[in-house]
Amino acid sequence: MATIEVKNLSKVYGSGETKVTALDAVNLIIEQGQFVAVMGPSGCGKSTLLHLIGGLDRPTSGSVFIEGSDISKMSDNSLTELRRRKMGFIFQFFNLIPVLDAIENTALPLILDGVKPELARSKASEWLNRNRLDGRGKHRPDELSGGQQQRVAISRAMVSDPVIILADEPTGNLDSRSGDEIAATLRKIVTDWKRTVLMVTHDPRIAAYADRIIFLKDGKVVDDTLLNGSNGDNAKRLKEKVESL
Amino acid sequence: MRIQLLLAWRYLWGRKQRMVLTTLAVVFGVTLLFGLNAMIPAMMESFRYNMVTTAGKVDISISSESNNPFDQSALNDLSEINGISQYTGILTKNVVLPESLGGSVNKLTGASAVTVTGVDIATAQKVRNYSLNEGRFLEVNDTYATVIPQLLADKMELKTGDTFVIPSSEGVAKLKVVGILSLSAAAGLDEIFVPLPVAQTILNLPEKINTIDILIKSGVNRDKVVSSILSKLGPNFKSGAIQTGEELSSALLMGESMMWLFGIMALAMAGFIIFNTFRTVVAERRRDLGMLRAIGASKHTIMGLIMVESLIQGIIGTGLGLVCGYLFCLGLLSGVGNIFAGLLRVTIGTPVITSANLIGSILLGVGFTVVSGYFPARSAMKVTPLEAMRPTLAIVEYRQNNRRAIWGLILLTLSVLGLVFGDVKIAGVSGVIFLVGIILIAPVLVKPVAVFFGKLISSIYPREGRLAQGNLTRQPSRAAITASSMMIGLAICIALMAMITSIEHGFMSYLDKSLGTDYLLMPPSLVLGGGNLGANQGLIERIKSIDGVKEATSLRLATSQVDGSTLQLIGVDPLVYPKIAGLEFSEGNSDKAFKAMSKGSAIIVNGVFAITNRVKPGDILALKSPHGVKNYTVVGIGFDYLNAKIATGYISQSDMARDFNSESDLLLLVNRKPEFTAEEVTPALQSVIKDFPTFSLIDSNSFKTEQMGMFKMAMSVFYLMVIMLAVPGLIAMANTMSINVIERTREIGMLRAVGATQTQVKRMVFAESVLLSALGTTMGILVGLFLSYLLVKAISVIGFKTDFYFPTMGIIASMVVGLVFGIIAAMVPARQAANTVIVEALQYE
Repeated sequence: MATIEVKNLSKVYGSGETKVTALDAVNLIIEQGQFVAVMGPSGCGKSTLLHLIGGLDRPTSGSVFIEGSDISKMSDNSLTELRRRKMGFIFQFFNLIPVLDAIENTALPLILDGVKPELARSKASEWLNRNRLDGRGKHRPDELSGGQQQRVAISRAMVSDPVIILADEPTGNLDSRSGDEIAATLRKIVTDWKRTVLMVTHDPRIAAYADRIIFLKDGKVVDDTLLNGSNGDNAKRLKEKVESL
Repeated sequence: MRIQLLLAWRYLWGRKQRMVLTTLAVVFGVTLLFGLNAMIPAMMESFRYNMVTTAGKVDISISSESNNPFDQSALNDLSEINGISQYTGILTKNVVLPESLGGSVNKLTGASAVTVTGVDIATAQKVRNYSLNEGRFLEVNDTYATVIPQLLADKMELKTGDTFVIPSSEGVAKLKVVGILSLSAAAGLDEIFVPLPVAQTILNLPEKINTIDILIKSGVNRDKVVSSILSKLGPNFKSGAIQTGEELSSALLMGESMMWLFGIMALAMAGFIIFNTFRTVVAERRRDLGMLRAIGASKHTIMGLIMVESLIQGIIGTGLGLVCGYLFCLGLLSGVGNIFAGLLRVTIGTPVITSANLIGSILLGVGFTVVSGYFPARSAMKVTPLEAMRPTLAIVEYRQNNRRAIWGLILLTLSVLGLVFGDVKIAGVSGVIFLVGIILIAPVLVKPVAVFFGKLISSIYPREGRLAQGNLTRQPSRAAITASSMMIGLAICIALMAMITSIEHGFMSYLDKSLGTDYLLMPPSLVLGGGNLGANQGLIERIKSIDGVKEATSLRLATSQVDGSTLQLIGVDPLVYPKIAGLEFSEGNSDKAFKAMSKGSAIIVNGVFAITNRVKPGDILALKSPHGVKNYTVVGIGFDYLNAKIATGYISQSDMARDFNSESDLLLLVNRKPEFTAEEVTPALQSVIKDFPTFSLIDSNSFKTEQMGMFKMAMSVFYLMVIMLAVPGLIAMANTMSINVIERTREIGMLRAVGATQTQVKRMVFAESVLLSALGTTMGILVGLFLSYLLVKAISVIGFKTDFYFPTMGIIASMVVGLVFGIIAAMVPARQAANTVIVEALQYE
């Protein structure tokens, strides 16, 4: 059973003259433990695909299966529970709560799930340590650098032990060094912690950390490539591919 | 719940200024609500303490249904009733002690009044237990002797053998203290006991008693005895103690509902502020909320977050409001206390907290906050997880408010039509409809008002004025809600000021008409009931006999009931009274009415009574009297200055003596002969007054000045409340301005980056604030004028004939308040905006 399976997935915004097809009958299977990057030009539908897989939005037609369950037919409550327990989200703008410290931000999904606060805090601290944020637990977001904030966000995504991590341009708001650090961390999530990662990015250098690249154009999958070789070579190949598309 | 609490608290703490301003609004509302309502029970309690007698510890007390004295022959009927063990007749009445006789308004150290109780010496001790500290109880041969309680003896420094002088219908009564009781009466005033015939002389009520105290045999059903007593005595009697001071109590109760209204108005304004704040909060935290939804927070968790935040503010605000309310009440009571002491000779104590006030204030304080947070919370619930993915943008409202404005316009038209009907209830509804209409139409008004006043500001600061105008109009709903809260405050200010001006004019004219004689012989308390002791015919005869007195007439007092409601009766001489004084008539005319009155069984009622009992000239009123129900024909609707507020009927003095056993003069009006000077007549009057210390001689000019002073003092308390009601408007503006600055931190940073100076940024914020207050003031003036017209009309309809005076002062004051508020509200936000650090502001999320 695939971790993620997308069947004939379409999303149309607006109607009549303003109708825009963001996704057009996309089919996709992603197995457990894969690091998949979605690339493509602006407006190709890559974020829409991520939103639909993450249950943040409803498809116009088609289905999304997460570990065999069709989430397109789920109620809002079931979807909320699914996101809380099986998915972790990493956003381009980090989206940390400014009034909470790093530990409290990280522990949020567990607290929302009713886990006892002491246990939630200790798990949050563990994940912060794994992401090299030891000693930063009491810091509020405005006291952390962009890279550190994104590592708090990654810790928050991992703390509830999800099956899938969905990352929307996770390095889009960072300098290249911090971006590399984040990409390496995502790699680690797959290699060391055996989770499935689906990442949307427009940066070939970051996408080169993935195992598989899906190219979208005008809402359709136009290329699906498995990567081999070194990061540098992969990045170069991807850059050429992006330019050719 | 834990997560909501944590987040709510942290968010509140993270925006302290906003939290303080929003919470302050709640504090303010609860302060008014709780404080004002703690004042009324304090006044009632003091009043009761000073004025109301209690029945003592007897099984049954019988009094007349109309609270008037009745013939003591009624006692004879009781001897045949089974179940009665003992009974005794008493005559009891409060008598105010004038200062010349040692009276003092301080109830701790002196006595302002005593309850004179005449007891039948033969039977009194069989019914009640009089335990003595020293001396003896009254004996059969005693005449002007009295037994007084220890507390009074201490306060007046009296001991047995001393003489205690109290006012009497004959002037004064010199009572020899023969005994001192160990305990004071169960409650109420210091009660002194005198032989019944002496009390009857003092109170000018020969052969009359007003209470029968009864003890029943053990094992007998009390209710059965009561019903057989009442069936024997007839329908003019009731079981229970006599009730005095009902009129003032009901006036105070009316005041209480006004206080609730004030408090609720203030809380409604707080509601606007909270609503505005949370609406902004939701817009501001759109991305946080989206993220929370994305990582698994349910819709209800999100809604709970906002609700908990408003609940926390409600609880903190209400708690602080209760404390401030108590202090506010203390302050007010010390102010009002002086007026009461002067006007009614009643000392006011400390705030009284009733459970209804406490629970009501808590429920309304927390309730208003939570309800105001509810609607923003519902919109927070609708934030989708996708919001987390979108970049933050400053919020601009593009939604058209036209539909709401059309509804507003329809309501405004309806409310104006409502005025045309002339019915006070319809007019009242019109007021509410007008208010709602203006609130609905307000967002559409934002632009034209901002453009109009913006032009004025632009003529001084062209660049900042234009920017401010643009900033204000980008979110018309928020501007409108802020302005609405200011509008309510100012509108009430204008309406009340108009009402006060109109009442002031009206009262001066009533004063001239009803108390316009050269001299007034006044009782100690201006409310005619309340413990004043009248004089017998001796006083007026002596005054009439003075050389230089042209004419003199008097007012007398009795109480009756019509269909269960109390009616105060004033006895006038229909031949003399209209010549030297008169009533202000709203229906009927003076000549015909007094002519009818002189023929007997005719009554003129005042507007308060006419309205509440739907009475019109020509109606027959069935008045309960000690001699049974008596029919009186209503011959006019009119009132005098002193009795405008209390349900009152005017009958002839001969009718009053016949039907209500009242022949004491409570207030005398005296005119001088034109050929005599004041210097010639005043000393003669003063020498007569000396023998009647209850009365004071006042010439009408100084009385009028004194009354105006009193009126203005009472109104100053009112003005204070009016000002207090305007304050939430200021809080609303300060709140909105600080929200605006926080929300536009990035924009302000950009403006600074591209070359705006600190002064320019400051001016921009000030200009926006002044524009906002201009909008609130414009709306406030419109609504205020409408409401003031309604209020004055309503006063006229309930019987106080009052003309509408345009509230010019109110409008000018509102404009000044509006401008000042606009500037004050912007002070802190403008400084914050000007001190923005450019780099930080550009990174601000």
